[in-house]
Amino acid sequence: MADKAILYDATKCTACRGCQVACKQWNDLPAEETTNRGTYENPPDLSANTWLKMVFHEVGSPPNLKWVFTRRACMHCTDAGCVEVCPTGALYHNDLGFVGYDRAKCSGCGYCVEACPFDVPRYSGNVITGVREANKCTLCQDRITNDMLPACVKTCPPGALKYGDRATLLAEAKQRVAEIGGKAMVYGEKEVGGTHVIYVLDDEPSVYGLPAEPKVSGAVTAWQDVLHPIGWGVAAITVLGLGLNYVIAKRKIKVESEGK
Amino acid sequence: MATAERKTKSTPFLHTLFGPPPAPGVEVVERYSRPVRILHWVNAVAWVVLFVTGWFFFVDQFGGAAQGGASGVLHRIAAVVMVGWALLYFLGSPKAAIKGMLEALKWGKDDIGWLKAAVPYYFFGQDESMPPQEHMNTGQKLWWLVTLGAGALMIVTGGLMWFGGDAISGEGFVWSALLHDIGFIILFSFAMLHIFLSMHPKMSGIFWSMWSGMVSARYAASHHKKWYDRIKK
Repeated sequence: MADKAILYDATKCTACRGCQVACKQWNDLPAEETTNRGTYENPPDLSANTWLKMVFHEVGSPPNLKWVFTRRACMHCTDAGCVEVCPTGALYHNDLGFVGYDRAKCSGCGYCVEACPFDVPRYSGNVITGVREANKCTLCQDRITNDMLPACVKTCPPGALKYGDRATLLAEAKQRVAEIGGKAMVYGEKEVGGTHVIYVLDDEPSVYGLPAEPKVSGAVTAWQDVLHPIGWGVAAITVLGLGLNYVIAKRKIKVESEGK
Repeated sequence: MATAERKTKSTPFLHTLFGPPPAPGVEVVERYSRPVRILHWVNAVAWVVLFVTGWFFFVDQFGGAAQGGASGVLHRIAAVVMVGWALLYFLGSPKAAIKGMLEALKWGKDDIGWLKAAVPYYFFGQDESMPPQEHMNTGQKLWWLVTLGAGALMIVTGGLMWFGGDAISGEGFVWSALLHDIGFIILFSFAMLHIFLSMHPKMSGIFWSMWSGMVSARYAASHHKKWYDRIKK
């Protein structure tokens, strides 16, 4: 099946945060009590109950102050660090290309939280006992597999969010970037194998607080792709070596025993 | 001179597996004190729990067993039991604990000799070239060093993953997990060897020294001559 994606056009976003609210409403996520920190941004960070958050950045100084907005949620990477490290298969790639999440399978290990190059997954629960559960945007898998739009897309008043075939949206994003000109760029086409949330930005990614070259850490690859086969190899050598010793020693060595 | 006490009701199956314990009337010497034996078995049980639950997280094919999170909780409990008991043992008799740890660090020419003689000895039972050994033979010293070294690695990396929080970055966590799993691989193979040797024909009956504390004088004299000569003086 063709990959699906969300297109977020930062130049059209008004930061109304309707998407944040729609996400909470559809996914049944409770509100969080916060304090006024002197910013329209709220809550302060993503959490197990906030899967989507609008981030505000002030760039430059008056009279040339620019106020830019970014959508912060799971990017649904093709080379997803979280899927790579998840031991239970709770995080997986859906047929539509995005990173699905099966909450019932989560072990609470927290590996995904640490391996994500975008610092997105969060867990709720107790760090000390280890009874906890990760959470993140599922791209409304329950809605899109039933021919409905993701909740955030459905609610977006200025049409800054779109949902559809990834290839179509990518072409649209490029066309839009050509229209805007200047520093405008598409973000997510090739990053971490291609994300399933594509951005139209009109400045460098860093201006929006996005990593310029997001990458899954080399340590994750060494841990998952190198150490695992080594482990199997060492286990095989151990078992074979001990087995060989047993077969030979059993025949060659006469047991000295004080027992009856 | 003590003689063997048959307090334990051992099943014939265990006799087949490990060789029979010293028969009544056979001369025996004490090899492991009661606190050491309790430490060993508490450790062994905690180790099995840590090993099995850790396995679920490390080996993707068994990841299904980690679902729901019970294994993560058990892993933490077993870690606390293992480290806590070792700490209690240390505080209970710091002198003995330090002496035990130092035993593994004392290496001499007979240890080099052991390394050279080990293969013919453990494969074919040739003891002519095997030099006399102390209370801990060279293999046991190696096992002890691996246990202490890899154990420290597991405590540090496990502790960082558990309590590190935001103080260690995601990168720090992943490195800790990588090192934790390297420790897992090392401890797995050496523990297999450790358990295997308790069933090795050359060491028939030694299992019972960790059970009742006693080993036959003949075993002590043939396997740990330097120690045996010392305690017989």
